[in-house]
Amino acid sequence: MLETEELRKVYKGTAAVDSVNLFLEKGESVGLLGPNGAGKSTTISMIASLIAPSAGDVRLNGKSVLKHPNEIRKVLGIVPQEIALYPELTAFENLKFFGRIYGLKGEALSRRVQEVLKLLGLEDRQKDLVKTYSGGMKRRINIGAALLHQPEILIMDEPTVGIDPQSRSYILDTVRKLNEEKGMTVLYTSHYMEEVERLCDRVYIMDHGKVIASGTKDELKSILSGEEAILVEMDRDYPGLVKELEADEAILQTIEIDKGLKLIVPKGSRLLGKIFQAAERHGAQISNITVQVPTLEDVFLHLTGRKLRD
Amino acid sequence: MLSFILKDLKIMARDRTELLVLLLMPLILIGILGFALRGMFEGNTAALEMEVALVQLDDEEAGIEAFIEDLEESGAPDEQVQALGNAARDISPSRLLMAMFENDELEEIIAIVETDQETAESYVRNEEVAAVLTIPEHFTYDSLRKMMLDEGEGSSLALTVTEYGSLRASIFNDVISQFVRELNFETAIAQAYGGGLPLGEEAETGGRESATAADPVSSMQYYALGMAVMFVLYVSSTLSSKAFVEKKQHVFYRILLTGTHPVTYLSGKFISASLIAFLQLAILFSLSAIVFQAFTFHSINFWLGMAGISAALSLCVGALAALLTALVVRYNNDAISSIFSGGVVSLFAFVGGSFFPTDNMPAFFNFIGSWTPNGAGLAAYVQWLQGYETSVIMGSLLRIAVATVIIIVVSLLIFPRRRSTIV
Ligand SMILES: Nc1ncnc2c1ncn2[C@@H]1O[C@H](COP(=O)(O)OP(=O)(O)O)[C@@H](O)[C@H]1O
Ligand SMILES: [Mg+2]
Repeated sequence: MLETEELRKVYKGTAAVDSVNLFLEKGESVGLLGPNGAGKSTTISMIASLIAPSAGDVRLNGKSVLKHPNEIRKVLGIVPQEIALYPELTAFENLKFFGRIYGLKGEALSRRVQEVLKLLGLEDRQKDLVKTYSGGMKRRINIGAALLHQPEILIMDEPTVGIDPQSRSYILDTVRKLNEEKGMTVLYTSHYMEEVERLCDRVYIMDHGKVIASGTKDELKSILSGEEAILVEMDRDYPGLVKELEADEAILQTIEIDKGLKLIVPKGSRLLGKIFQAAERHGAQISNITVQVPTLEDVFLHLTGRKLRD
Repeated sequence: MLSFILKDLKIMARDRTELLVLLLMPLILIGILGFALRGMFEGNTAALEMEVALVQLDDEEAGIEAFIEDLEESGAPDEQVQALGNAARDISPSRLLMAMFENDELEEIIAIVETDQETAESYVRNEEVAAVLTIPEHFTYDSLRKMMLDEGEGSSLALTVTEYGSLRASIFNDVISQFVRELNFETAIAQAYGGGLPLGEEAETGGRESATAADPVSSMQYYALGMAVMFVLYVSSTLSSKAFVEKKQHVFYRILLTGTHPVTYLSGKFISASLIAFLQLAILFSLSAIVFQAFTFHSINFWLGMAGISAALSLCVGALAALLTALVVRYNNDAISSIFSGGVVSLFAFVGGSFFPTDNMPAFFNFIGSWTPNGAGLAAYVQWLQGYETSVIMGSLLRIAVATVIIIVVSLLIFPRRRSTIV
């Protein structure tokens, strides 16, 4: 129902978003995965027609959004990356204000505000000023404000940044509920691959303004089907050891992690012995070694040579 | 739109620091300045006392006689000649002028010294008098002919001012101009009735009021008004700062997401600021009346006038808020609000006369001051307090209205209307 066509945004000569093609089918839950600066927020602002694209178009049911920006606003609920609320107003007052400017009135408005508060589990605290809220509660109200007008499509821009695990879990459950029970179409942006793995059917991976891979989770992981990851944990870092392994042709990729290494190797290659020997030569003490099936994180790593979160 | 305004009011009411700045600070200053500078205003008339030399070259009685003789020679019926003759005695300009100087209020400050031309000139050289008023030869005769028969060129009073531009000189000048204006007004009426009406009555109309004859303004009143018009300006920078916070906190982004037109947002700021400014003025004036007895309950009419002036001023403050908001949003920088509240307001307050009356300042200074919203507002309030007619106050109100319209137009030009350029 929603698609972008060769969407592009250039800031001072560099493309923040570069020929991005995305589509969302009704009822789908789609993930948009990418590190900071990948161009996710810019893409979303263009979909919401708050930023004019340098090129390309956004279509809602085949109709250009650029030409009819108000049509998409009715069906679109956007959760901005930042908390976009008045700290000096209560949660109730914030929702009431935004509900009103969405055109809700009187009884319907009050009812809707209470529904949203209930959905987000904040009925009890609705009379408190937002500035007294925890990060997680603010995030929840931030989502609530995008749900007031009952949008068909919910676009969330990193809605769980910097919050406690409990709130995060609550938010993920709420999004799943909206998607599965209310049939809401969801585009979920994150740089936490666990969230996207848990919530989304289909995933786009963005980096440097470009979509570098897309497909269902399984399709993406099959990129790595011939590979596996060996996680080596040690007592400290051994730069010499890293150099030696990097030089080894049998190892596809060597990534340093805190007090350890992650090695991408062809599936079934018997490299463990080699690794132990090398470690011994460098005097490294291995505390743990695991062989992992690939995650989306590994897919990203494979595609870009970098981790999602630096 | 209403939701924007309610939201702004609510946020304002919860901001204790802003409330202190907008309400408590001016009240404290009114108290301090009002008490400390009491002398400056209540010694008012003493400071204005002046001596004026009067050179009388006219012989009033001879003038009236000559005028009546003319009438007789014209062959008019006897009764008419007699009626006009009597009227001439009643409205003889010389007599009216003298009567005016003997008026209680003027007598307190203006001492008239009758003298001959030469002495008067030496007075002027030595600056012993504030002004010299010369009544020319045949003044009575020429004036009466012009006034009652519309014949001849009339006559004019000659005024020599010693310290040009001084407060005293300008007050005396005002007194004389006012007199002449009334005289001309009466002349016009007299002529409209064909000169045949009982002119004695007409001469009494239009009570004589002038700058010095108006109700004096106390220091408490002056500073209650002066501080109010100064601090009301802070409303605009407060609101533009809040607009910047809205942008920084991304609620502006969310507001645009709802499909709200940017101009709706700007209009909301205009109205909110106007309302807040009006409330602030109302609270300040009420508290000044209660706490400092700055104003008494004159009459409903008095307070209606105050409300009218406040409304005009508040709309101008609303326009300023819109202008600052437009700048802040466009350049994504709150420095403009700080510059306004940190510098422009003080400068405006200074030239607009919030700290001291600017009558003695150079004309250019006063011109600038009269075009600042606070300066024009203060002038209107003071004039209203002194019981001036509405037409006098309209001048100041018109300047405020012109400024308001210009500022609104400029804000609309500056404010980015395309959503894509805002975020
Ligand atoms: N208004 C802007 N002006 C210039 N550069 C921008 C602007 N907005 C974003 N960028 C740049 O575009 C790139 C993509 O940013 P963004 O869309 O916020 O990425 P993400 O949301 O994936 O972290 C970044 O390099 C950022 O610095
Ligand atoms: Mg982002």
